[in-house]
Amino acid sequence: MSDVRNNRREAGGSSVITANRLLDGRIVWQVAEGDWSPMIKDARIIPNAEIEAAIAQAAARQQADGLVGVYGVQIESDEATPTPVTVRERIRAFGPTVHPDFTPAAELEAHA
Amino acid sequence: MPDTIPAPALPVGHYGYDQVDRAFLADRVEQFRDQVARRIAGTLSEDEFKPLRLMNGLYLQLHAYMLRIAVPYGVLDSRQMRELAHIARTYDRDYGHFTTRQNLQFNWIRLEDTPDILARLAAVDMHAIQTSGNCIRNVTCDQFAGAAQDELVDPRVHAEILRQWSTLHPEFTFLPRKFKIAISGSPNDRVAARFHDIGLVAKPAPDGGTQFDVFVGGGMGRTPIVGVHLRDDLPEEDLLAYLEAMVRVYNEYGRRDNIYKARIKILVQALGTEGYRQKVDAEFASMNRARYRLPPETVAAIRARFGTPDLNAPDDAAARLDRARRADPAFDRWVRTNTHPHRAPGYISAVISLKPAGGIPGDATSAQMDTVADLADRYAFGEIRVTHMQNLVLGHVRQDELHALWQALRAADLASANIGLIGDIIACPGLDYCALANARSIPIAQKLGARFASPELQETIGPIEIKISGCINACGHHHAGHIGILGVDKKGEEFFQLTLGGSPGSDASVGQILGPALPEDATVDAIARLVDAYLVHRTGGERFLDTYRRLGAALFKDAVYATA
Ligand code: HEM
Ligand code: SF4
Repeated sequence: MSDVRNNRREAGGSSVITANRLLDGRIVWQVAEGDWSPMIKDARIIPNAEIEAAIAQAAARQQADGLVGVYGVQIESDEATPTPVTVRERIRAFGPTVHPDFTPAAELEAHA
Repeated sequence: MPDTIPAPALPVGHYGYDQVDRAFLADRVEQFRDQVARRIAGTLSEDEFKPLRLMNGLYLQLHAYMLRIAVPYGVLDSRQMRELAHIARTYDRDYGHFTTRQNLQFNWIRLEDTPDILARLAAVDMHAIQTSGNCIRNVTCDQFAGAAQDELVDPRVHAEILRQWSTLHPEFTFLPRKFKIAISGSPNDRVAARFHDIGLVAKPAPDGGTQFDVFVGGGMGRTPIVGVHLRDDLPEEDLLAYLEAMVRVYNEYGRRDNIYKARIKILVQALGTEGYRQKVDAEFASMNRARYRLPPETVAAIRARFGTPDLNAPDDAAARLDRARRADPAFDRWVRTNTHPHRAPGYISAVISLKPAGGIPGDATSAQMDTVADLADRYAFGEIRVTHMQNLVLGHVRQDELHALWQALRAADLASANIGLIGDIIACPGLDYCALANARSIPIAQKLGARFASPELQETIGPIEIKISGCINACGHHHAGHIGILGVDKKGEEFFQLTLGGSPGSDASVGQILGPALPEDATVDAIARLVDAYLVHRTGGERFLDTYRRLGAALFKDAVYATA
């Protein structure tokens, strides 16, 4: 689910696109058009100048892609892995801080 | 006291469903199954589907769907608890979260599983109706109802009557905003009656029947307000008519233009207590009272569908409890903090703390839920209550069996001796789960719990209520905390604002903001200094709240901001 705080974007910055999967509600990040990953490290990084158009495009096909609530998340410019600037989106990206075993990375490992 | 002998099949402590109730729930599940199928197929858009899923308690939160399951007046039977454990294990991540509205939330639910989950719930007479949306929500109740020594009237029968009245009430499915009712039957308010849209306190009427104190327009959220006392003599037979009139006036005059001004508290403030009362009285006078009359026969019929415990403890039960307490200091401490006096000789109510030091307030694993269900069967007539403090209660325990119960609880990590103490923290899900949050509530609760873990220290500090909300919606009741903690967002980072002097009880008050919000890593230390200041300045057996009320904020402000 989006949040007003995600509409504040810095002109020179970059963002990634996120959504929840319709069937299970889980968080995903856009890798390419029509391709989404639970891991933010896979996400495609988009300059803020282009982000609105990219969000609109992704939102237009969200039902077909089995998604709800497509929106953009600004990321830090100086991190190797895309890292959201807000605590909220960091928690979405890396899991609830109170359950280290529930992070997306730990889950992928558990299913591997 | 019971005037009919209940059929043995009736659950102790709550209403036993009949075939009409069951058929209704089964229909409702199939209706939702169809709606989910249409959503997945794409014939319902998210905008169309959202109100439908919310009517069935299904939210989309940060990480997944969240399902909020109603526990009417906070009472569960062991069979229902085992089903919740089963759902946690099968469809969620092996735990559930008990909430301040005496409900249960699962945080990792899949949309596609929800119809099956609701069908499983329906099989044990449970559902998720009225847990969301602008309707009359699940009615909350005193966790010691029907057991407490200080109780005048068991409020659960009336809570059930209100549940039946409000469920799918055609006029009240689209109120201006959500509507929350709490009911107690004790002069000692344990339900935060004055912080609800309507708070009711049942008591004996001069004619031997039942009448109610009525509070209206209390609430938390962005505009915290202590409810006003509307009347003290509402006769039982007019309960539904008068509440109908109260909600009708709200439905007609409550604001729909601004979500933040839509609760009844805003209307009551705008009209004034007298203005609101006049409108309610006029509505009440003009309505078809015969239609809404609640005759004693109806009350008796509902009461007859409640199972009642067969209370007969051995004569030496109290003496045996005394001996066990003298022999075992850890048990003795737990009895001091985690029990409540029972009306029947030889019985006692036991509170199961869901607040282990460093743990997540209100969370229980499926194994713990199963254990509680087994213990309820063994020691408490299969009946379990959820408290608005996010703990569990076994209402009717024989005093001579309390030591055995405690040992079993200890083995399941369910015997923290901290009820009413600094470790008994309310915390909303906050930013770890909640899509609306500004900041995380749970980690602050965990750090405070760990900091004040020692049971000796907690008992020394004495009664103190810390309540934490991750945003101004105040689901964690921070406004009513002796110490309230509110998460705020500053440019995407977490800060915490402290309020002091709130109280949810008969002496209800709204906490006052102490000063500027603190960064996350300074908050727990600041509270520790604040508690130190209290310990230095308290006199006699003063609670924290009393010291604050006597001395005011200044010294606490110094303690918090001196080194911050
Ligand atoms: C996680 C999803 C949740 C959402 C989206 C949510 C949303 C809200 C909102 C919007 C309000 C403010 C309503 C208003 O002032 O009109 C509110 C108030 C409240 N919620 Fe929640 N809440 C959530 C979880 C909880 C939980 C877990 C609890 C119990 C622990 C809870 C109990 C309450 C209470 C007691 C209030 C304040 C009392 C009142 O003003 O009626 N909520 N919630
Ligand atoms: S108080 Fe705010 S953060 Fe906490 S559960 Fe309610 S809406 Fe979410």
